[in-house]
Amino acid sequence: MAAHPLLQQPPAPFISAAMSLSSYPFAAGFFSQEAAAVLTLDSGGRISQASPRLAGLLGQPAAALPGRCLLEFLPLIEKNRVQELIAQAAAGQVLGEESILLGVQRPRKYRLALFPQLADNRITGVYGVIGAAPEAANGTLLAQQQLYSVIFENMNDGTFVVEVEPPERYRFTFANRAFGRTTGLDLPQVIGGYVDEVLPEPARSVMLVHCASAVRTRQPVEWQETAEYPTGKVTSEVTLTPVLDETGACCQLVGIVHDLTRQKKVEEDLRASNERFLYAIKATTDALYDWNVETDTLYWGEGYEMLFGHRLRENPEPFSRWADHVLPAERLRVVGGLRHLAYETTDWHWQDEYHFRRADGSLAWVFDRGYILRDEHGRPVRMIGAMQDITERREAEQRQRLMGERLFRQNQDLQQFTYIVSHNLRAPLANALGFSQLLTQVAPDSEVFRQSLQNLHTSLRQVDDVLMDVNTILSVRDQRGGYRPEPVALAAVCREALQSLEPLLESCGGQWQCHIAEELRLPGRRAYFHSIFHNLVSNAIKYRSDDRPLRIEIGATAEEENGPTTLWVADNGRGFDLAAAGDAVFQLYQRFHSDKKGRGIGLFLVKAHVESMSGSISVESQPGVGTRFVLHFNPAGHEDLPH
Amino acid sequence: MKTYLIDDDRLGLYLTEQLLRAEGFASCICPFESAQQALEALLRESAATLPQVVFLDLNMPLLNGWQFLDALAPYQDRLRGRCAVYILTSSLALTDLEKSRNYELVAGLIHKPIDGEEIRAIQARLEPGFRAEEAGSLGG
Repeated sequence: MAAHPLLQQPPAPFISAAMSLSSYPFAAGFFSQEAAAVLTLDSGGRISQASPRLAGLLGQPAAALPGRCLLEFLPLIEKNRVQELIAQAAAGQVLGEESILLGVQRPRKYRLALFPQLADNRITGVYGVIGAAPEAANGTLLAQQQLYSVIFENMNDGTFVVEVEPPERYRFTFANRAFGRTTGLDLPQVIGGYVDEVLPEPARSVMLVHCASAVRTRQPVEWQETAEYPTGKVTSEVTLTPVLDETGACCQLVGIVHDLTRQKKVEEDLRASNERFLYAIKATTDALYDWNVETDTLYWGEGYEMLFGHRLRENPEPFSRWADHVLPAERLRVVGGLRHLAYETTDWHWQDEYHFRRADGSLAWVFDRGYILRDEHGRPVRMIGAMQDITERREAEQRQRLMGERLFRQNQDLQQFTYIVSHNLRAPLANALGFSQLLTQVAPDSEVFRQSLQNLHTSLRQVDDVLMDVNTILSVRDQRGGYRPEPVALAAVCREALQSLEPLLESCGGQWQCHIAEELRLPGRRAYFHSIFHNLVSNAIKYRSDDRPLRIEIGATAEEENGPTTLWVADNGRGFDLAAAGDAVFQLYQRFHSDKKGRGIGLFLVKAHVESMSGSISVESQPGVGTRFVLHFNPAGHEDLPH
Repeated sequence: MKTYLIDDDRLGLYLTEQLLRAEGFASCICPFESAQQALEALLRESAATLPQVVFLDLNMPLLNGWQFLDALAPYQDRLRGRCAVYILTSSLALTDLEKSRNYELVAGLIHKPIDGEEIRAIQARLEPGFRAEEAGSLGG
């Protein structure tokens, strides 16, 4: 026997009947339950067809059921009631019974629906659908409802439901506590109220627009808003989901309000803070960095490239790239010092000044200061710091220092000048005055008169000498101004300077040796070196010892090309007591030998020349042994003084 | 009157000696070209032979006038009242005058060249019988 079409594929009339049932609250339960058993009966309750599920329910073979009466499988107490229900269904009613006991041996509760079977517009029988026990279903539903209620009331997102009422009015039918908490609105006033009455502006207008949109499009709507509520300014993300009825029209809207206020505030604070930081970085000319100690990398702020011109191939970059740019001579102190401070101490503050190689090869003078972050064990984790280019400041200081030195020297010159005027010029002048006075007092034909006249002449010549000296000194000073160093071949200049002294040297049996390498060049002024050699060797000849033949040695050593150079002129002459002479050796008109004629200007000039070439001079001497003048020049430190 | 002249400048030494002689200042004038020699000579003198006057130049090599005075400091008691030191310098520096006031032995500071009036004032001060008001014109 062929199966009834209903039991295979539901025929159209069944669907329409079922759809008509949907208006009955219990009907939905049947069709959503997979475990439903279906059967057809005649008006007397005789089973004409039964689904295998029914056979299972009744504990009978499916083939045995057709032709049997359904009532057979009911307990006595149910027989009359069910017989009555079947009769009513056969009469055209649709019936549902929540609780029917089914089964003879061990009856259990089921749900039963009966409705007329129609064919050609007349009732031909009764459909029966048997479902799971309603008590159990209700219990689950209740539990579910309770669960939903707990969830809704305790979730952090505000949740609400509005009913759509024509024409375009929206009534709150539900709102959870979170909704009240977020908005600060009074829930009893919200529920039952209309959106356009309950919500404050501007949330109201926004909500109405979105409600209308959701109803129209039947699509969920999502938006962000910031609106004033009784709780203050609230930023939230709102989702509105339309609920459609069986006709497909939107009857309800379910809304979820996700409060973003705190998150927004945090974001806003962070943004403002970041913005301040960015502007701070822009405002500062420093190169900010973040040293990650563990990875040994440096993350650079934008100032780094700008200040030093190094293009960052990666950021962060290895710590060693920075270290490589530190001037090699200072690297050990600076990089080693930083690492020592970071790893070997618990200090949190590091600072140093050093030279840093720019991308163009020039050196920047840098002041670097960092703050070391340490973990609870005191181990370094990071260091935040800033490199400051203080080149300009340092150069200005340097200029100021040089200017100070220059002024100091000029002041010394002035003092020397005063000294010349007050003593060396005045001494012969006073003599001249005295002799001219004496000439009036003694007899013109006397020896004293003759001597005094000669002395007057000598004194006036001395006055002239001093004036010449003053002129020489002034010219050395004047030439300091437009001074430009040129490479001077020392050995050649030395030979030249000594040529004029050769006869003098020969006459006293003296010898000299020059150990200056032919190729050695020193930046300076040729005429000055000439004067230096001439004066020092003249001195050596003048103050030679009578006990031994004079030996003069001249030499120069340079550690490297254009490096610091030492020049010396040594003799085996009488020497002098350095302690007694003190710092007067190089002063004008200072003499340390009473028996030798000397004006005391030679060493003064030597010193003036050495200093005008940014060199320095010192002297070692021992009475009876000899004297050694040592001159230091540093071509790298050769600076053209500002004027 | 025994007088020491100490000056490394031979012309100055000769000049002062002749100027003193022209004024009839001293019977015995001992010129020294170095302060070292003068110091040695002075320390050899007995109380009776000490010079009453020493004319001392300041700017000299090896031992200058100030150093000469410092070297005399240990013998101050012996010299006080018997030996008057006059600084005779061509320097016009005021600091020298200031500094000379720290030396008890220094009776005055004279700028070169010494003139007749100054010589007579010193004579007046050292030899009783000369007029006192002339002596007052000298500092010291």
